[in-house]
Amino acid sequence: MQKKNTTRIKKVLELLLFLVILIVLWQFFYFLGVDLLGLWKSYSVPSPGGVAISCMNLLQSGVLFSAILKSLGRGIVGFAMAIILGVILGILIHHFPYLNRNLKPVILGMQTLPSICWVPFSILWFGLNNSAILFVVVMGSAFSMSLAVDDAIQNVPPLYIKAAKTMGAGQKELYAKVILPACVPSFIAGLRQGWSFAWRALMSGEVMSSTIGLGQTLIVGRDMADINQVMLVMIVIILVGVVIDKCIFTTIENRVLKKRGLL
Amino acid sequence: MLELKKVGKTYPNTVKRTLKDISLTIEDGEFICIVGPSGCGKTTLLNLVAGLEEPTTGELLLDNAPITGPGADRVVMFQEAALYPWLNVLENVMLGMEFLKVPKEERQRRAMRYLKMVHLYEFAEYPIHQLSGGMRQRVALARALAMDSKLLLMDEPFSALDKQTTNMLRAELEQIWLKNHKTILFVTHSAEEAVYFADRIVVLSENPGQIKEIISCDLKRPRKIDDEEFIHIRHQLLELVRKEVMKFAKEEYDQD
Repeated sequence: MQKKNTTRIKKVLELLLFLVILIVLWQFFYFLGVDLLGLWKSYSVPSPGGVAISCMNLLQSGVLFSAILKSLGRGIVGFAMAIILGVILGILIHHFPYLNRNLKPVILGMQTLPSICWVPFSILWFGLNNSAILFVVVMGSAFSMSLAVDDAIQNVPPLYIKAAKTMGAGQKELYAKVILPACVPSFIAGLRQGWSFAWRALMSGEVMSSTIGLGQTLIVGRDMADINQVMLVMIVIILVGVVIDKCIFTTIENRVLKKRGLL
Repeated sequence: MLELKKVGKTYPNTVKRTLKDISLTIEDGEFICIVGPSGCGKTTLLNLVAGLEEPTTGELLLDNAPITGPGADRVVMFQEAALYPWLNVLENVMLGMEFLKVPKEERQRRAMRYLKMVHLYEFAEYPIHQLSGGMRQRVALARALAMDSKLLLMDEPFSALDKQTTNMLRAELEQIWLKNHKTILFVTHSAEEAVYFADRIVVLSENPGQIKEIISCDLKRPRKIDDEEFIHIRHQLLELVRKEVMKFAKEEYDQD
């Protein structure tokens, strides 16, 4: 256990060091290109220092904090709706061969459509508001969820089902006691992917709308020609996405896999 | 009593693993082993009795009622243990009884009793992935026994295990069977195993899978594999199966 912890700390330190190197390089090229050679204009290239100042300002005014909260809340609500819709769709396309043959390819096609393509529809149908963004999020991630659910059920080892049947399991018990629990690991993997789609779709939606959120903060930065703020928001979007992935999904995934001896 | 009446099974688009005119009556309490060259349809026959597959011709009756699908009166033990990794040992054994609607306390009591019988009492709370292959198969055996089914179907349950574990499990199964005299239909490719267990050995021929011969085997139990009579029957059986394999190989060869 002790050893495990130290290797983990080592890994984190290594990663942090790498990030520091990236920032140093960034600063170096900024200095070279903007200050020394004058190749680029300072308003078109962000600098580490500028981003830091921007960060301080947005933190002080509370804009950043409320934007993160608003975006996260919206993302979670939209993602929850996408899960519900995706699970229902997934079970349907798994259960009915007709839908599996015909609806599944359509869903597959929908999934390849970038979520930003839903923005015109969403604005037409809902206006420039919260519902419009939620619509984009749901469209962006529900299809991937439904495919994941279908896949998860598909990949339940046939032996599990055969054994349960010969022990007299009815259709309902088969689903509740065998298929559902057997699906859990791949379902969590599906959730994880679904979340990344939802988070991206959320930003597409927020960029278009004027309600408070990270996407809107990024656009405000652009409108004020503040490239540092744009960069800052981009970094925050990445960080929030990664933190949710690592802290929530990876943790649950590891726990489930460990319990089943798959890790 | 299990009756097979002129049971046949063919698969569209394949010639292998077909069964033809299998007629067999198995009395309660009998231990029947099915042997034959690989690919002769041993497992198919077992699946038909289990209700996992449907016969193309003929019918199967268990206590005069036709077999129409899988059911808890014909529990199967597979080559792999088929345990559920999200449940621990005890929960796995209890799950089958849950399908049977056995009340919870009774489930637990019975599960513990059968775990004791297969010497896994202390491992009740263990997760499945911490068990060895032999232990897993013993859990599967406990689960099957706890269901108290009319018929126990075993599809080469020990064939994926090493020799020593197999011997140990054979002795355990024999002990248990001598106590409860369940009706067992046991598929195996091992002549030794068949002679060790069976009251009657059903030898299948290959392509189409038909009953070639039924060998009655009334050696005293517990049986010893180095007994003269044991060796004699085993040889007889091996010779039968070998002939079948050769015949089929020759047919295949001649076609080329």
